[in-house]
Amino acid sequence: MTDHERDDFGDLRRDVERLPKSIEPPRDLWPDIAARLATAGRRRAWRPLVWLPALAAAAGVVVLLLGRARAPAVEVSVLAGRPQRGGAPITGRTTLRAGERLSTDDSSRAHLQLSIGEVDVEGGTRLRVLAVRRREQRFALERGTISARVSAPPRVFVVETPSAVATDLGCAYTLAVDSVGNGVLRVTAGIVAFGSPGRVAFVPLGATVPTHAGRGPGVPYVDDAAPALRRALERVDSAPGDRTALAAALAAARADDGLSLWHLVARVDEAWRGAVFDRLAQLVPAPLGVTREGVVRLDRRMLDAWWNYLPRTVWRVGF
Amino acid sequence: MTDLIHRAQAGDEEAFHALYRAHVGRVYALCLRLTGRRDEAEERVQDVFVRAWRKLGSFRGESAFSTWLHRVAVNVVLSDRRDALRRRLRVESVPDPAALERPGRTASEGLGLDLERAIAALPDGAREVFVLYDVEGYTHGEIARQCGVAEGTSKAQLFRARRLLREMLGR
Repeated sequence: MTDHERDDFGDLRRDVERLPKSIEPPRDLWPDIAARLATAGRRRAWRPLVWLPALAAAAGVVVLLLGRARAPAVEVSVLAGRPQRGGAPITGRTTLRAGERLSTDDSSRAHLQLSIGEVDVEGGTRLRVLAVRRREQRFALERGTISARVSAPPRVFVVETPSAVATDLGCAYTLAVDSVGNGVLRVTAGIVAFGSPGRVAFVPLGATVPTHAGRGPGVPYVDDAAPALRRALERVDSAPGDRTALAAALAAARADDGLSLWHLVARVDEAWRGAVFDRLAQLVPAPLGVTREGVVRLDRRMLDAWWNYLPRTVWRVGF
Repeated sequence: MTDLIHRAQAGDEEAFHALYRAHVGRVYALCLRLTGRRDEAEERVQDVFVRAWRKLGSFRGESAFSTWLHRVAVNVVLSDRRDALRRRLRVESVPDPAALERPGRTASEGLGLDLERAIAALPDGAREVFVLYDVEGYTHGEIARQCGVAEGTSKAQLFRARRLLREMLGR
């Protein structure tokens, strides 16, 4: 390869240098790895290697059978106090089926074991089971707080709230809803699509999004976003015509806040999308083929292409 | 980090989990670009960390852990590729050799804009050389040893990859 040939591709090499060095997997791969470590341990002479494959296969069959047996219901165990199922106190362990409601008062907590993960139910919570099927495990969080850790294909685990629906795309998160339907979603692994009719927020690990009754999810922000930015985003979300708030949000944003500006593009009036594009492009240069004109008209492919270059986001393809 | 490595070497899975969390992003990015497929990349990431767990005893700290893990990842992906190729060659012929020159997938169809997607759409050999040389900074000599090809082949694949990328990106 001569220097002349290198220079011929200089533009390409410059683009390559801007590629992110790290991309978070779209789901938590650790559970699968941990399961394999148990049988992949470092070899020692005394190990009955001959029996390992058979034992592993037998264990796999047992796990599979247990998983199938557990699929139609959710196992509930009491962590503290006296949670109730349909108004009756729970002691020890029991199951919840579709249509049943779990309630905790301020002094009680419960743990749900699903075939695809687990959910901690905090005090003061009302959670209803809408569906428990192998391809759909759907709940309604009427109020209170849950923490979910799920390892399943995207869209299997879904939690409805009064103002938005949290669709798991392979993740862990905490979701809280107050008595009037406002709430907040904080993601600790993977990514969650949090949506209501007409708007959706993609919330990657390390980010939070508020939601409001009657309005749906607000603009997500990374956990160390400046308070000034959070306040400005809240104002823009509640009053999309508030130009002062938009200017404050753009001024307070850093490159690490690209997630917020990316969402803002679709939340502000069309006349102001150009200003959001300009600021985002200043902080996170737009990738090849992503144009101001395209972003202003909310070209989905361009926005998706830009997403994968934002700091602190999770690689997102096809959803 | 050193403490985590020592604990993991002693069999502490929690320490190894912490190492996984610290490095999974870099490993996934590498696997995703080398394979061009998300599902395959997820499988290779799992293979990489299982292999790393097995081989952790051989890590002597002569290089950074991230560098060592990176080598493990490249070995895992390339050896899987070689195995898959051997299996395929046993049962397939190539009726149209020119097909190997064309992008292998249509990941960029209708888009043609995103460099990541264009890389994913490269033929396997060209993509591997491009990722290792242009993205990861390997030399042609290192790539030749890793991939089991001549240095000249590596250079030719790189040129082919760059040319195809340009075409796909519409330049």
